[in-house]
Amino acid sequence: MLEIKDLHASVEGNEILKGISLSIKKGEIHAVMGPNGSGKSTLAKILSGHPSYEVTGGEILFEGKNLLDLEAEERSLAGIFMGFQYPVEVPGVNNAEFLRMAFNARRVKADEEEMDPLDFDELLSEKMKMLKMENKYKERSLNDGFSGGEKKKNEILQMAILEPKLAILDETDSGLDIDALRIVAEGVNSLRNDNNALILITHYQRLLDYIKPDFVHVIHQGKIVKSGDKALALELESQGYDWVTT
Amino acid sequence: MTDTLVESSAESAFLDLHKKLLEQGRSALAELQVTALSRFEELGFPHSKHEMYTFVNTKGLVATSFSLPDGSASVSEDFVASHIYPDCKDQCLVFIDGVFDRGLSRCEGVNSNLMPLSEADEEVKAYLSETAENENDVFASLSTAFCDEGLVFKVEANTQISGTVQILFVSTGNTAGSVMHTPRIVWQLGKLSEIKVIEKFVGTEGGYFINSVQDWLLAEGAGVSYTQVQMDSIGSWHFSKVRVYLNRNARFHSSNASSGNQLARHHYEVRLKEEGSEIRLNGVSVLDDKEQVHNFVRIHHEAPQCISHQHFKNIVNGHARSSFDGTVIVCQGAQLTSADQLVNNLMLSNDCHANNKPNLMIFADDVKCTHGVTVGQIDEGQWFYLQTRGLSAKAAKELLTRSFAKSIIETIEFPEVVEELNDTLLKKLEARND
Ligand SMILES: Nc1ncnc2c1ncn2[C@@H]1O[C@H](COP(=O)(O)OP(=O)(O)O)[C@@H](O)[C@H]1O
Ligand SMILES: [Mg+2]
Repeated sequence: MLEIKDLHASVEGNEILKGISLSIKKGEIHAVMGPNGSGKSTLAKILSGHPSYEVTGGEILFEGKNLLDLEAEERSLAGIFMGFQYPVEVPGVNNAEFLRMAFNARRVKADEEEMDPLDFDELLSEKMKMLKMENKYKERSLNDGFSGGEKKKNEILQMAILEPKLAILDETDSGLDIDALRIVAEGVNSLRNDNNALILITHYQRLLDYIKPDFVHVIHQGKIVKSGDKALALELESQGYDWVTT
Repeated sequence: MTDTLVESSAESAFLDLHKKLLEQGRSALAELQVTALSRFEELGFPHSKHEMYTFVNTKGLVATSFSLPDGSASVSEDFVASHIYPDCKDQCLVFIDGVFDRGLSRCEGVNSNLMPLSEADEEVKAYLSETAENENDVFASLSTAFCDEGLVFKVEANTQISGTVQILFVSTGNTAGSVMHTPRIVWQLGKLSEIKVIEKFVGTEGGYFINSVQDWLLAEGAGVSYTQVQMDSIGSWHFSKVRVYLNRNARFHSSNASSGNQLARHHYEVRLKEEGSEIRLNGVSVLDDKEQVHNFVRIHHEAPQCISHQHFKNIVNGHARSSFDGTVIVCQGAQLTSADQLVNNLMLSNDCHANNKPNLMIFADDVKCTHGVTVGQIDEGQWFYLQTRGLSAKAAKELLTRSFAKSIIETIEFPEVVEELNDTLLKKLEARND
């Protein structure tokens, strides 16, 4: 599904990713771990099409097509979803209306009819229930004044509505208490099937108790320095990042 | 030096024009006109550093040679009808070229509230001559000097005007020679009376200068909801002065939505004269090409325990210009004043301008006053975020632009107006971004 080959990228002239290769197949979950500043979010932003990051080498293929040719909007419509480490507050844009716009943009792309507001409201209520989100978050402005935990839940809500083929969740677990973490993880698990894939970026192995990865990769200074299975995450937890970075 | 020469000839052009006006016969407001004209001469047109016109370049306007309206304008009933809000269809006063047109108006329900300005009671007459003598805005003086007749809208004590009253100002342009229109309305609100008013300004074509003055005199406990929609033709000038006097516990809530023209300027002069009175001024303008809207606000807190609230938002694109020049003056003794003032500008192009001069002058010690200005572009982070959810760059920008204006537009209590603003005002930006 996703093929990253020797990816080099820089921001404002500084090289941050120094040759990342990663291959992800349908149905797989890959965890990407690593110390702060190692380039995890940079990788996520490049996958989602952020204009500030310049790819200076390598390539990314998504379902066989060159992903780097696509704008952020096109990547989203093609089925890529990035859950932001820091979801953006957008005052004045109604959360429910925004979700409906995003949902219908997908439908229009697929030559389907737009869903009317009432039907969409039902769908939204159902997804919010799954994430134990209060109804008032429908009427609030998008992420505006949400707590850290509610923002992360709102990201997963968007994922649940958009049903992406490939989701990249950037530290969705950070800032969540254990109850919220469980709810979010259950939500993510319920969206899994054999046709989609997940990249879980995390700093802590705790999340991986709830969402079980098939592969674990450790990034350090813009390179994948170690790959393995779930056991690698546990080992990291007990030994600390120094174990792989020195 | 050159400035002075240009301006003095500009003033004499208007003085000559005024002689022609007098030759046409004696106006019912002749005395007031003379007072205003001499005040106009004393004040003179603003030079480039005039404190009331810091951001407004009036050179092109005052250098234009104006002729007197010849009264031949005709506006079709269909045109008028197309600008009347459905809820106001039985209560709409129509002004053509600044003159009240009873034939086109639908005023059965409010007939008894209307009176020619020349027949106003002594109190209003005294007020008019006093304000004409002390007028501080030269364009308001000019308006009064050329105003042959105005209208008094009087609401008796303890009376609530049912429904909403619309005032429709239609200006016809004159491509051969520009004309100045000088509508004048005095709103006299008795104790505990109430009224809701929507005003709409439209033109059939460019080549006119609508220079209006309105006075709102609110007795104790009176309440006003006032919505103005400025949608003049692009090749026109629009100046308005709104003077509001508030007595004890009176409330005046105003929203202005402007689409601009080659030069639009709104001047608000507000006096909170007695305890417990409250003013809210909201404004939104959406400007493109070379459109301009300038807001000039002076709020005088003259008594304790009064509230003033101002929030203006401008969306500026193309080569458009907006400005805000606002001062809240808290007089000595006006304790426990609560005043806030906020201006937000959203700049959509590199060639647009937004100038801001917020100001507080406080002569009392126990007050709560705030002011702030923001000038910003579309937030890149927000824009990107929306695009990652599948919205096109254009749709995402529109959504952010709309949501910027929304907080003001939503304060307008008339759904028909809100809908119209969403349709016309914001649509013009979308067309532009295609
Ligand atoms: N927009 C940016 N401008 C400048 N430097 C950046 C930017 N984004 C990331 N960096 C730098 O790139 C490196 C990797 O950052 P990031 O990808 O956010 O790391 P991680 O998510 O692993 O903590 C850091 O040194 C960070 O300072
Ligand atoms: Mg990060």
